[in-house]
Amino acid sequence: MAFNYDNYLRVNKMPTLWCWGCGDGIILKSFIRAVEKIGWKKDDVCIVSGIGCSGRFSSYVDFNTVHTTHGRTIAFATGIKLANPDKHVVCVAGDGDGLAIGGNHTIHGCRRNIDMTMILINNFIYGLTNSQTSPTTPQGMWTVSQKAGNIDPTFDACELAIAAGASFVGRETVNSPKKMEKLMLQAMEHKGFSFLDIQSNCHINLGRKNKMQSAMQNLDWIDSITVSKKKYDAMSPEEQLNLFPTGILKQDTEVREYCDMYDDIKKVHQGKRAKITQDDFAKKI
Amino acid sequence: MSTLMTAPANTPVWVDTARCKACDICVDACPAGVLSMQPEPTSTLGAMISVIAPDACIGCNECELSCPDFAIYVATKKEFKFAKLTDSSKARQEAIAENGYRLPEDYKEAN
Repeated sequence: MAFNYDNYLRVNKMPTLWCWGCGDGIILKSFIRAVEKIGWKKDDVCIVSGIGCSGRFSSYVDFNTVHTTHGRTIAFATGIKLANPDKHVVCVAGDGDGLAIGGNHTIHGCRRNIDMTMILINNFIYGLTNSQTSPTTPQGMWTVSQKAGNIDPTFDACELAIAAGASFVGRETVNSPKKMEKLMLQAMEHKGFSFLDIQSNCHINLGRKNKMQSAMQNLDWIDSITVSKKKYDAMSPEEQLNLFPTGILKQDTEVREYCDMYDDIKKVHQGKRAKITQDDFAKKI
Repeated sequence: MSTLMTAPANTPVWVDTARCKACDICVDACPAGVLSMQPEPTSTLGAMISVIAPDACIGCNECELSCPDFAIYVATKKEFKFAKLTDSSKARQEAIAENGYRLPEDYKEAN
């Protein structure tokens, strides 16, 4: 009795267009298992994806899907969620999609704390367009756009999301699909904006010039730069350099969710309550 | 369509070769030397996964979890009586991994 993923897939689109050994497939599988576990009906879920290899995510799953313009996943998803507050919206973006061209949308999605899950597939490179430097490319790596070595400082996606106000932030890697499934389940159960940084491999476009030609070498490298949050917290600041903690990094259930607050605006216009004032908020500006 | 797939009779692990892209990840993940790549001229990368030692499978599910292409499946403990991890299984796995994820042609089983 193996898990039959075909129930959630558009089987006629298989095999996937991703390269051999691409971590995106592992993420897709973990996501499907998490949806099965949480028990959402297929018609109640909407997957919104942008441009890039991660954009193919929405093509393969048999939910309601939207394949949007570059970087605008959060913008489309916010509209979908506000119009259908009882449905579940999941955004899938790549590191270039969600942090570079769509970086502004990401931080404002986090700030509003609207109830959706954002899965940021972080493969450290613009893979689809053949290895240009992305916001998460480690310094010193070879890319097509920085052939002498990348000098751009690296984004920590989770730190950004925490600072911007996301109420659930977590990180996991494709090396541990079971942990990833659990983290996705917790993120989807959370009411509010959940941001997940899922580190994935791109041995074709990141690895080929950076001594990681096979998927296994690239996965081993990801293993070497990540450490569980418990171990990370016990480390000295020098040891923490260039390491990423994995697991749940922030969970705040106290912050009000955006759709809930938006209901108050509806009530104001229907004459059912007085106008919203600063006194309605615990945190004043 | 059910969310569970029944295993073929007496099969611990089976592969959908139409989906497999021969990325080697499952061969690397297996602790017991059950899987190996075999030459296959019609495949894009010139290789295809094959189950070379089904009796050694310990049912850990690692290959299924790490396959990015929905190609490999593992039976449950109710459907198949899995073996225990032995030293000869570990030695075979090591030989396969060192030989570019293919079983060496002259490989002899350790006892």
